[in-house]
Amino acid sequence: MDHSGAPSDGSVVRAVLAGDTDQFSVLVRRYRDRYARYAAHMLGSIDAAEDAVQDAMVRAYTHLGQCREPENFAGWFFLILRNRCFAERRRSRWETGLEGVSEVAAPEQTESELERSEVVKDLQRALLRLTAEQREVFVLKHVEGLAYDEIAARLKTSVAALKMRMHRAYDRLRELLEAP
Amino acid sequence: MKREWNPLVKQVLDGERELETLPADLRLEAETARRLLLDAIDRQAVTLSASLDARVMARVRSRATAPWSRAWRWLSAPTVPRWAVMVPIAAAAGILLLARTSTPPAIGEPRTALTGQRESVYVRFELYAPHASRVALAGTFNRWDPAATPLVRVGSDGMWTVTIALPSGQHQYGFMVDGRNWVPDPVAPAVDDGFGRRNSVVSVNTMNGRIL
Amino acid sequence: MKRLSVSLVILGGLAHGLAAQGDVRARLVGRVSPEVVQLVSSLADSARGLGLPDAPLVDKALEGAAKAAAPERIAAAVQTVFGQLAAAARVMRSTGATPGSQEIEAGAFALGAGLTVDDVAAVAQTADGTHPAMAVLQVAGALAALGVPRAQTVGLVQSAVRSGLPLGDLTNLPAQVQAAAASGVPPAAAAAGLERAAEARAAPNPHSSSKAKTNPHKP
Repeated sequence: MDHSGAPSDGSVVRAVLAGDTDQFSVLVRRYRDRYARYAAHMLGSIDAAEDAVQDAMVRAYTHLGQCREPENFAGWFFLILRNRCFAERRRSRWETGLEGVSEVAAPEQTESELERSEVVKDLQRALLRLTAEQREVFVLKHVEGLAYDEIAARLKTSVAALKMRMHRAYDRLRELLEAP
Repeated sequence: MKREWNPLVKQVLDGERELETLPADLRLEAETARRLLLDAIDRQAVTLSASLDARVMARVRSRATAPWSRAWRWLSAPTVPRWAVMVPIAAAAGILLLARTSTPPAIGEPRTALTGQRESVYVRFELYAPHASRVALAGTFNRWDPAATPLVRVGSDGMWTVTIALPSGQHQYGFMVDGRNWVPDPVAPAVDDGFGRRNSVVSVNTMNGRIL
Repeated sequence: MKRLSVSLVILGGLAHGLAAQGDVRARLVGRVSPEVVQLVSSLADSARGLGLPDAPLVDKALEGAAKAAAPERIAAAVQTVFGQLAAAARVMRSTGATPGSQEIEAGAFALGAGLTVDDVAAVAQTADGTHPAMAVLQVAGALAALGVPRAQTVGLVQSAVRSGLPLGDLTNLPAQVQAAAASGVPPAAAAAGLERAAEARAAPNPHSSSKAKTNPHKP
């Protein structure tokens, strides 16, 4: 993947397994933010995303010997983070939008911008009321921009199953957002 | 009351059908669906706090020195075959797409950023101030108004934090503690402020998140 | 000088000029003294006339107000910022570039972090298709602000760009220096190490290609 000469993920993984622990920081730096948005949408807050990424990174280090494809550390790390997000049960009460975020409310913010803020928060609240599987397919497709077949490959499932999940998510969101 | 979108409308949401190909009586429903579900999506990149790396590595290093973990890693390290596994192109493309912090295009999706013209990135600020009763963030992004962006105390060990959306560029800032003490950010680079103190700096690049 | 700059603004577009002036005043009135409002407005007019962004001038005045600085100190600080913006724009334009507001602000930031105009010129000239000027200047400024000596800041950025370091890794350089500093490595030493690594990458390598690595190199 890398023709510029920066160390590949595989060579860094091998170095860490050979005992050079500090090299793990290369992977931390590379991937610390890559799935942050996904985790934030899954968990409903950036603070929770930060905890999840931190835990997932440490877990990736602890189980690094089990990474079957060192050149695909990113995909393997994603699955660890995903498991961590699914295990997160404490968000039973829903937060307002991405919690901890105060958009810089410049006085010039127009009425339409304020309205958009509310609409965005409404959707985020509603997403948190979907099942984790439904929320995930919505986030991967519509926030992260992956195609169905890419999501299917990543999650080891079928496109048909994903579409069924997604379509239920669409209907559930309609119920939540169109509620009187 | 269960209300389900028409299957053709769902195909529009999936990006597999153009709205214009729908029968006229379904177009309003499709536009409503798009407005409620797709146009309201917040795709801003998220950047986690600068101290995350240090916290991870501290935990990693403490594990590395534990004798049981060294043995475990040696035992579980795979022997790498001479022929390295090539990542399938499709999967690699998927990873690349996920890696981009810029908004990927989708059918009919507007690219409005919440903070105005430039795209923004969420940046988290934190300060360890166990004895403070209030902490605020002031900088070029909020006209140096300490009342605008208070931090929130998290947990019980004296950490204060706030996350805001910042557009690309350099932003200078500092923390105002208890309404009277200006404190620079210990984990950020600093520049002379022209008033005898130092300002902390965060550089935001919307292609890659923050620089520092 | 003030009268001349006002005339230039009028020639340049009356409505836009007056609107911009009004905007500067509106942001400052009530927060700084009338003398400072007048000075900043006037400098902002000059800035716009020179194709420079005026927001950093207003920001500096507001900062001075928030820090309860004396009017003379605010005035001096705002003039310093103006000088940095003007110098950054001048040196970038002299290399043939047409910097926009963001590039100029990035250049001014680099100057404020301790780089000289020659340093800024050298850094700006490394910019290419995959390493835009704003990013390389931000990185250089951040490195200097972290305490990396000027010559090494410039050297590291040049080596990194020349070695084809991906943009994401380039913008990570300040974080790497800071992480090293957290482990006790002085910024200068950390930067030197990174520059050596960049030079090693840039050295011709008969094996370099995008093919799979069949022989993982030893750590």
